Amino acid sequence: MDGSIGIPVVRRDAAAKASGAAQYAADFPHAGTAYAALVTSKVARGRITAIDTMAAEAVPGVQMVLTHHSLNEGLGKETFAMKGGHMQSSFMPLTSDEVHYAGQIVCLLIADTQEAAEQAAGLVAVEYATEHASAAMDDPGHEEEPMEKKAIDVGDALAAFAAADVSVDATYLTPAQHHNPIELYAATCAWRDGKLLVNTPSQWVKGKQAALAEIFGIPMEDVHIESPYIGGGFGSKATLLAHTVLVAMAARRLGRPVKLVVPREAMFTVGSFRPATRSRVRLGAKKDGTLTAVLHDEVGQSAVIDHVAFPATEVTARMYASPNIRTRQATIATDVNTPGFQRAPAEAPGFFGFESAVDELAIKLGMDPVELRVRNEPERDPVKGLAWSSRSLVPCFRRGAELFGWSKRNPEVGSMTTPDGLLIGMGCATATYPSAMAPSSARVRLSADGTCVVYCGAHDLGTGAYTVLGQVAADVLGVPDELVRVHLGDSTLPSGPVAGGSITTGSSGAAVHMAALAVRDRLLAAAGDGNPAGWSLAGGQVIGPDGHGRPVAEVVGAVTGGVIEETADWKPDALSDDQMRAGLAGGMAFAGPTTEKHASYSFGAQFAEVHVDPLLRTVRVARMVGVFACGRIINPRTARSNLAGGMVWGASFALLEESQVDRPRARFANTDLAGYHISTNADIGEVVVETIHEDDLVVNPIGAKAVGEIGIVGMNAAIANAVYHATGTRVRKTPILVEDLL
Amino acid sequence: MQPFTYLRPASLDEALHAASEPGTSVLAGGTTMVDLMRGGLAWPTRLLDISHLPGLADVQTDGPVLRFGALARMADVAENETLQRAYPALVESLQLAASQQLRNAATLGGNILQRTRCPYFRNGVSDCNKRVPGSGCSAVDGEDREMALFGTSESCLANYPGDWGTALAAFDTAVELRSAAGLRTVKFSEFHLPYGEDPAAETVLRPGEIVTAITVRATPAGRASTYLKVRDRQSYAYALVSAAVALEMEGDMVTSARVSLGGVASKPWRSPEAEAALTGRRLSEAVSLEAGEAAFKGAKPRRQNAFKIELGRRVVARAALTAAKRI
Repeated sequence: MDGSIGIPVVRRDAAAKASGAAQYAADFPHAGTAYAALVTSKVARGRITAIDTMAAEAVPGVQMVLTHHSLNEGLGKETFAMKGGHMQSSFMPLTSDEVHYAGQIVCLLIADTQEAAEQAAGLVAVEYATEHASAAMDDPGHEEEPMEKKAIDVGDALAAFAAADVSVDATYLTPAQHHNPIELYAATCAWRDGKLLVNTPSQWVKGKQAALAEIFGIPMEDVHIESPYIGGGFGSKATLLAHTVLVAMAARRLGRPVKLVVPREAMFTVGSFRPATRSRVRLGAKKDGTLTAVLHDEVGQSAVIDHVAFPATEVTARMYASPNIRTRQATIATDVNTPGFQRAPAEAPGFFGFESAVDELAIKLGMDPVELRVRNEPERDPVKGLAWSSRSLVPCFRRGAELFGWSKRNPEVGSMTTPDGLLIGMGCATATYPSAMAPSSARVRLSADGTCVVYCGAHDLGTGAYTVLGQVAADVLGVPDELVRVHLGDSTLPSGPVAGGSITTGSSGAAVHMAALAVRDRLLAAAGDGNPAGWSLAGGQVIGPDGHGRPVAEVVGAVTGGVIEETADWKPDALSDDQMRAGLAGGMAFAGPTTEKHASYSFGAQFAEVHVDPLLRTVRVARMVGVFACGRIINPRTARSNLAGGMVWGASFALLEESQVDRPRARFANTDLAGYHISTNADIGEVVVETIHEDDLVVNPIGAKAVGEIGIVGMNAAIANAVYHATGTRVRKTPILVEDLL
Repeated sequence: MQPFTYLRPASLDEALHAASEPGTSVLAGGTTMVDLMRGGLAWPTRLLDISHLPGLADVQTDGPVLRFGALARMADVAENETLQRAYPALVESLQLAASQQLRNAATLGGNILQRTRCPYFRNGVSDCNKRVPGSGCSAVDGEDREMALFGTSESCLANYPGDWGTALAAFDTAVELRSAAGLRTVKFSEFHLPYGEDPAAETVLRPGEIVTAITVRATPAGRASTYLKVRDRQSYAYALVSAAVALEMEGDMVTSARVSLGGVASKPWRSPEAEAALTGRRLSEAVSLEAGEAAFKGAKPRRQNAFKIELGRRVVARAALTAAKRI
């Protein structure tokens, strides 16, 4: 079967996953494994004054108890990924008696069995000197820390806002959220001859390899990270988590492999999360809907231990044409683990407020919300005047409106009902996501048996990298899909970038493309005895100048060694060779979304229909429509699933998800999947996804823009806008709960 | 978890004998017990597996008394056709609970012993009088959106989470308890305890006793009944507010009403106030809302859960109107 670009090839890993054959990190057996369990802090801030492990050590089978007393060893200079390191946080538990957040690891138990380790964990008695703590940014006493470098000013937005014919000034809140992948965090660490093997679900095998090498003072090639499959990551498995370091340390001291699977409750504290945000959005417009002022002040929850922000304002500032733009970014430090990347970290919370405000403006103007967005479509990036590498937002809205049946919407609030009396609400919102790129290597091998194998240290989060990267090679080499093999998720492979920022297809795809072209050149040269002139590839045949074809496999078979293999290092133009080298060695090296000449973003238009019970005020998402322009779609099937998955999460964001904070004790309260609500199938009605093709060779040679995260962006606002249309109640926070509508 | 001995008795007699040993807990469907043990909330030293014992899964829906063997599975009973026709409230309470997978495994007897989902109880860390008597109740100054409005105290604000139990409370229900000493029958209304000074005590079940059956006195009110559950999501969530309503009517006149509430009380909660507001009245939307209002008159709201009073008023009203359509 043709497996080239644009074909809806079925995921290569689908059968293995459906049958249970796929090995996830915790499934790799190691002889002689010992098992770990965690003890986490009951208090959110203070010091450990005493830790009694005697009863735990007496449990039969317990091999080691690791506390800040017994660790008693430096752990290198590794630090938080956003400070140039690879870690989830710059704070390392067990290196001191300090407690900085509730649920922090304070002790690690290692035993011959999982049961003994867990039993021992329950017997560790910890005493704390507790200090006042706050895990919510709207607790009293917090001060905002402005981030002046993130401020954007175009024109005089304050004056233009004050003088606007029509204006909106509103503040919107989004809560802390947790990724909650079904696959728990896990790490099995095994040392052999001074070399470390780690099985852990990873969105960044190269980064973890570099970090563990630094921490244990060994060469990078002596660290091997294996992560062929990831059971949901969403950003939580990108950076190195502290427990992996502790497990590796325990394994080294014990001289045995050690395995830890983090229990669900600890998933809320030992890794990162999406921090809470507060957005004040001010929009000013002329009576005809032309925007005159766009202002967005965003405050994000940060941590005392790491100052971190995910500014949506850099994106919202570029959304619509306006002569006057002003954005400000600030943070509030709280007593939590370091917040981190969670699918569309900046955009998903930031666009809730921003796109809700656009809807509020449309209502004040008496204008259709689709037309208001179209009216303010910018020719160029409104902040720096850069050309768009491609921007098809208006076609997305036109097509989306058509698919959704937007013209049937009566704009009057509460005017539409279903045959059984439910209130119908219809809303829309804009989605966007930056198309950044990063350096990547890839190796492509063509063999005499006809197979084409792609090797790349990129990652498949379950969204299709195994499939699409193979298609990129197949597209160049004309190899049928059944003969394509792809290897990912291993630090011994040619270096791939972090699976973050929706960059994998574009970046690693470009590297695969480059390597495949080199293989093709050698193949044609081999066919022409050193002279490729006049030779071409078609239908699995190498066609000569005389029009006669020879099977690819036959030509490869005649080459010395019977394989043609090439490795390529690709980098975006905006990065230097040094930056590329640093990136390929496990650094974070991103180019874009804005470069000197271009601004590169994916865009989309999202529509939602909600049904609201007129008496009980419960909301159900009956339909969602999303139309996206993400450059060239390599695989319509996996792209659709990815975008639809994002939209489903967006609905969950709008109506369900919140990591509730137990304020007096500064803890997350609903730390299990019964309490932390994510959408079930029953919550989601029809989901319609389409993409609009764009030719964009500015972003990369295969023309692929960001797909992975845009689906979630804007869906929350589209639903909030639909809820307003149904009920007349404007809810300026998520999740929108039944009590908000009673 | 701590090490425990797994016991698999050959007969009910053997099981009752084994149950009398201190430290013994009963394992049936396992959906609650295993969860509690994994979460460090139950520490039996002996786990007595009764799931295979014969005769305890029988369901009788004919005659003057309905009888549900304690080991009958939720999913199986939800498919009982007689029950679907004659007691829709009971069936709906089973269908709307948990997930299909859990309903396939969970038993009716175990279900009524389900423990609260209060996060402070479940997380194994926070102060909680139910888990560590005397340690205090974290919900008093903490997250209380899901906490109860009835039957609480400053020692415990937790909610009874079950749907089946809530629906049973609307009927004349009893629980059969067996021990080595013999059989006793307890009225369902007296089976669960409201959370007073000792929130760790949740039922009148004595050490060594096993729930063997649940009985419901047959009533024509079963036919005009419904169980309405409002929750944050459409599946796999506990009730914010639920209500079971069963009516007997002459024309549009309510001659007898049974109303119970879920998601709002420390135990399955019968509402004689709502029943009185319906009985002897011609049912209308206004009357149903009056009944809803009456149901929540005695509610004690906290900071975040006061909305349940207004929501509950509407839930009772909608359930009453739905039940009336089934006459």
